[in-house]
Amino acid sequence: MTPTEPLARASAAQQAAVRPPLPVKLVIAGGFGVGKTTAVGSISEIEPLTTEAAITEVAAGVDDLSHTPTKTTTTVAMDFGCITIDPTLKLYLFGTPGQERFGFMWDDIVEGAIGGLVIVDTRRLDDCYAAVDYFEHKQIPFAVAVNAFDGRTAHTLDEVRWALDVSEGVPLLVFDARERGSVRDALLVVLEQALARSGG
Amino acid sequence: MADGRTPHGAGEDDVGPVGPAPAVRPFLVTAGRVAGGAGEASSGRTMPVETQLVATTGGLAALHRLSFEQHDIVAACRIPQSIAEIAARLRLHLNVVRVLAEDLRTAGQLSVHVPDSGVTHDASVLRRVIDGLRAIPDSRRVLRDTD
Repeated sequence: MTPTEPLARASAAQQAAVRPPLPVKLVIAGGFGVGKTTAVGSISEIEPLTTEAAITEVAAGVDDLSHTPTKTTTTVAMDFGCITIDPTLKLYLFGTPGQERFGFMWDDIVEGAIGGLVIVDTRRLDDCYAAVDYFEHKQIPFAVAVNAFDGRTAHTLDEVRWALDVSEGVPLLVFDARERGSVRDALLVVLEQALARSGG
Repeated sequence: MADGRTPHGAGEDDVGPVGPAPAVRPFLVTAGRVAGGAGEASSGRTMPVETQLVATTGGLAALHRLSFEQHDIVAACRIPQSIAEIAARLRLHLNVVRVLAEDLRTAGQLSVHVPDSGVTHDASVLRRVIDGLRAIPDSRRVLRDTD
């Protein structure tokens, strides 16, 4: 899996003209309108970009149409941004829809991620269950961040923790997706989780 | 088909109705191949969305001979870019970029840097990310001297 090994043997013409940074990735999950793109945009050094992953869904077992034996194709928008840590290290932030019905695309986006942030709107807690389950199942370090719309949340953090049934080991915090410093601090919580997991 | 809108667009390679990205022949440019197929398997690895693509000197030299998407990818990768960035900026689907990147890599025109998961999860790397993030100030605005 060493990324550049084949290049070591390649001719001069096949060598990269420039050495790329090491990319590291955090995934930001959450329901529609929960503030994923806002959070990415608050801290990204570029305007968030959007790419659309074309997904072939096998209808069976995915939703109520499970009796339909056909495949359908859906496109799911994924917003992302990045932060250059230094010329050799770049942090990517990928926002991905958190609802269960998009679970089939998560592996593609999440593979290799160093951590995840699940953004929660306390008025619509249901939207984030699947993402919490996913990160737990994949043993990806993550934190749950309640986006405080207008500075308030509909439930206390204790209530949210109880409702989501996340273990005490999972950090739960309130943040404001519009505030750069607030997003930074939420990401730092995720990274500290990842660091603890790495044994560092 | 040319406009990408078929009345019964249920084919596997048809992306169906999409928003901003033009659905023009999305997988036609890959000759119907999808990522995860033989090409990728032969290189023994998958390409995460943050995989870095960089034009090789050979690729830049051959730029005038490349067509359309291949040309655009190599040209854009004068500056290292992730697969996701290329997909977004060139309005291509992620898996189309993966397939074309693999082709261009095989041709020696693009270098593909798949991040090593062991390296990216290493404590020393995580600490550098943490230090880098901590250095980010609260506000986007440049602080003014007096007010």
